[in-house]
Amino acid sequence: MARIQLENVTKKFGKVTALDGISLDIKDKEFFVLFGPAGAGKTTILNCIAGIQLPEEGVVKFDGEIVNLVDAAHRDTAMVFENYALYPQMTVYDNMASPLRSKLYKKDEDYIKNKIHEVAAMMKMENLLERLPSQLSNGQKQRVAMGRALVRSPRVYLMDEPLAHLDAKLRNAMRTELKEIQANFGTTSIYVTHDFMEAMSLGDRIAIINEGKVVQLGTGDAIYYMPCNEFVAQLMGDPEINLISGTLAKSGDSCTFTMDAGGKVYDLPKEKDLFAKLDELGASKVDLGMRPQNLTYSFEPKEGYIKCTVYSYESIGNKSVIVAELSGLQLRMIAPNGLKVKIDQDVYVDMQLDHAMFFDAETKNYLTRYNEAAIKAFAEKQEG
Amino acid sequence: MAGLRIEHLYKRYENDGKKKKNAAKNDYAVKDLNLVAEQGEFIALLGPSGCGKTTTLRMTAGLEDITKGEIYIGDTLVNNLHPKDRHIGLAFEDYAMYPPLTVYDNIAFNLKAKGVDKAEIDKRVREIAPLMQCDDLLDKMPVKLSGGQKQRVNIARAIIRRPELLLMDEPLSHLDGKARQAMRTEIKRLINEIKCTTIYVTHDQLEAMSLADKIAIINFGVLQQYGTPAEVYDDPVNEFVASFIGEPPMNILETTIMGEGDHFFFTFADSNLKIEVPKRYYNVVSNGFKCKMGVRPMDVLIGAADSKGTPEEVATFENLGDERRIGIHVGSFLLMLITDDEKRYKAGDIIKLEVRGEKTHLFDLETGNRIREK
Amino acid sequence: MNTASKRLGRIVQNGLLVIYAIFALFPLIWMLILSVKSDAEIYTTTFIFSPTLDNYRIVLFESDYVRYMIDSLIVSGGAVIVSVIAGVPAAYALARYNFKKKEDIAFQILSFKFAPEILVVLPLFMIFQKLHIYDSYFGLIWVYQLISMPLLIWVVRGYFEDISVEIEYAAQVDGYNWYQIFFKNLIPLIKPGLVSAALLAFIFAWNSFTFPLMLAGTKIQPITVAITKFLGTDSAHYGQLAVAATVSALPAIIFALCIQKHLVRGLSFGAVKG
Repeated sequence: MARIQLENVTKKFGKVTALDGISLDIKDKEFFVLFGPAGAGKTTILNCIAGIQLPEEGVVKFDGEIVNLVDAAHRDTAMVFENYALYPQMTVYDNMASPLRSKLYKKDEDYIKNKIHEVAAMMKMENLLERLPSQLSNGQKQRVAMGRALVRSPRVYLMDEPLAHLDAKLRNAMRTELKEIQANFGTTSIYVTHDFMEAMSLGDRIAIINEGKVVQLGTGDAIYYMPCNEFVAQLMGDPEINLISGTLAKSGDSCTFTMDAGGKVYDLPKEKDLFAKLDELGASKVDLGMRPQNLTYSFEPKEGYIKCTVYSYESIGNKSVIVAELSGLQLRMIAPNGLKVKIDQDVYVDMQLDHAMFFDAETKNYLTRYNEAAIKAFAEKQEG
Repeated sequence: MAGLRIEHLYKRYENDGKKKKNAAKNDYAVKDLNLVAEQGEFIALLGPSGCGKTTTLRMTAGLEDITKGEIYIGDTLVNNLHPKDRHIGLAFEDYAMYPPLTVYDNIAFNLKAKGVDKAEIDKRVREIAPLMQCDDLLDKMPVKLSGGQKQRVNIARAIIRRPELLLMDEPLSHLDGKARQAMRTEIKRLINEIKCTTIYVTHDQLEAMSLADKIAIINFGVLQQYGTPAEVYDDPVNEFVASFIGEPPMNILETTIMGEGDHFFFTFADSNLKIEVPKRYYNVVSNGFKCKMGVRPMDVLIGAADSKGTPEEVATFENLGDERRIGIHVGSFLLMLITDDEKRYKAGDIIKLEVRGEKTHLFDLETGNRIREK
Repeated sequence: MNTASKRLGRIVQNGLLVIYAIFALFPLIWMLILSVKSDAEIYTTTFIFSPTLDNYRIVLFESDYVRYMIDSLIVSGGAVIVSVIAGVPAAYALARYNFKKKEDIAFQILSFKFAPEILVVLPLFMIFQKLHIYDSYFGLIWVYQLISMPLLIWVVRGYFEDISVEIEYAAQVDGYNWYQIFFKNLIPLIKPGLVSAALLAFIFAWNSFTFPLMLAGTKIQPITVAITKFLGTDSAHYGQLAVAATVSALPAIIFALCIQKHLVRGLSFGAVKG
């Protein structure tokens, strides 16, 4: 068990800066997620913590003690690799026993046997123990890789996209399983992913990583409801958030939003704090952030709804997404499965503006949103 | 353009080593397959790997012998026709392009081989390219293209022949994440535009659900169900289809029916969960009747604190932004439910569980076939 | 395709293979036949003769043939052992580490195999004289590195590159130090490549003629050089020559058959992504 700290960690590969002054403070027993697009530097952070790579600058601390000069074997971590990295010449049993047979973490064979069977039962893979890695499916390999980490009680579990190579269905099932096992972890865990659902579901806190920097840090809810910029807003959410550019105008104590596409004028629902904040920030050209579930649609003309055409209608599992097009702007919204929708037919769309977020159209940074105070308070409570 | 009719199609591989694994499991790779695709329809052949969907496609294309049965494209029996005479377009998983040729020449290759004159070829290439959004790629070499771009060229190459039937075999499986989703939309819009009868092989139920007018679900070489996405989702014929379609999959649990007064209830081993059996099943169930009950995660609800639902302990809680998924142990089974409810739970919380009885399906314990109300 | 044309195809295929087999094996068979003929019958008969083992007796028991064989074994075996000890770490370094001019060095090692031996043998002869290693085991083993080392390094490097570096990371995190990882995890994975490359190198060293001819020849006589002795100035004992050649080819043939089995790669496949 350990508190892991990174202070101003910088890592370069030749001329490429992979990590650019990363500082993180991961609490003891926390399940911490590093989330970002491919090539953001997430795996490099993990490798620096594991001791596989050495940062050029900055320090890595385990429980306040600087470990920069401690090699990987002596850092007492357990890691799950993206490509599983199973030892091909060993059976599943020997793979899992490997960490317990090394000189450093030596245990007697009886203990090893019990432990492996315990973990195998938890991971539902007792029947695989005698097989070689080449005889396993991807899902099974993933379990074994996970099992090999779980047989030990390290100071920290490091997991690098353990579910990335599974197909969507298996990935979701494994994620739920992981969530169930997670309760028994009680050990600091750092989990790298580029999958929004994994980040959201598993992380006590999430750090959004992009181009070697921490972009935002907070609980899933905090980031989901108050993303610090449009990049994070798009990353956090599937289907992606709708960003609608337009112009704000204030008249008296009301405020209007004029959409660039189509030119429709919306009266923003009244919220004193919000209007005051927008005023203070002097926002005029903004992008409105609307989550797909906050758009409503109708196939009949309806008061206040704008006329669009259906660009696509696709299932995402238990529900579907309608993409509507309005003079070049695509609007995503949630709909049930199995509707009879034709491509290019008319659809009428409205926005629940009291869920809107506001982003600066220039800098793409977050300005404010409806219910900000309540959401802030909620996020603080979650973190505390 | 024409429809496709497959009648009593069988395929058996000779036992010559390579295909032995297939043969051991099941004599026939494809067994008594019947399928009708109307002109202009988009049909998805959906099933797990090794189920015979690709074999069916390859027989349709003429790349594989037919053991028994007939395949008609339009009204022509094509069993003994050479692939090039079947008027089909093919787009495969790995886009084998001719590396020394530019994208333009790759797309034009087929027409050149057929001896179509230059002006005509040029006209057609320029016509197809914008459809597949590859007009600015035409002068590039294949190695310079990304996966998504290659797939676009690949499809452009398949449709430039103006085929009567377009056959696609997992064309998106090399793409990942967003590129895949975007390409899926493009294919859908393209087919909608050129209105070509299309057979699309995939193992991804989402692709099938999103793209197809009708889905043929195949398992072990046998057609399980053939219907619109809504039909296979809402009205599955058996347990296999029910669990294959939808994500997260349908909850399917073994149950014993209990009669209490004039009501019947689903009960479950090692669980206090009790769900009222909808009236429409009263003719088929009896006290002590054993079967499987299936219900989609969307149809399991959290009742208000004072509702008459069964109190259950939350085993897993997943916040996914726009929805929340809760797992509850029913015996050894993890029952999933999906809710839009904004409330955050944690493992160990007690919730009232209600199941929409009218949305439940019954499956035979042995055969997995749907038990329908009478 | 229908079954009749398939069958026809198979017949043609097999026919061609048989013709090739006769073509390839004929010299060997001819040599075997010669080795059991007496000198008198060498030129007179083709297939009808009275077989004799005299040639074998003379070569194996009445000449220094066995000593030549042992010389060959020592220099070839020694060369391979040195190559393995020095070449495996070199291959690992070339596969795993990035350093300046890495590819140039790797290519230069390979380029040793390009140069005809006759090109370097004269200067080597003079160097060997000066260093007093002419006609010694050490000298031959050293010069044989030109033959065996490039082969070994290139084959083994490929095997190391096939092993994902994460396997080493995983073992580090599991608590093993580098030497344990190398011997416990890496060596078993490169074994097929190592064994086949070593055997191949052995065969090449065994068959080498130019180097031992010029750089040894009195005290140390590998079999390839010694065989020439049977071509006396007065008469050529073709029967004995055939025996010497046949026996000296045996190790190469046996090893070649062994490699065939080991050339099956794939051990390191499958454990990483499927």
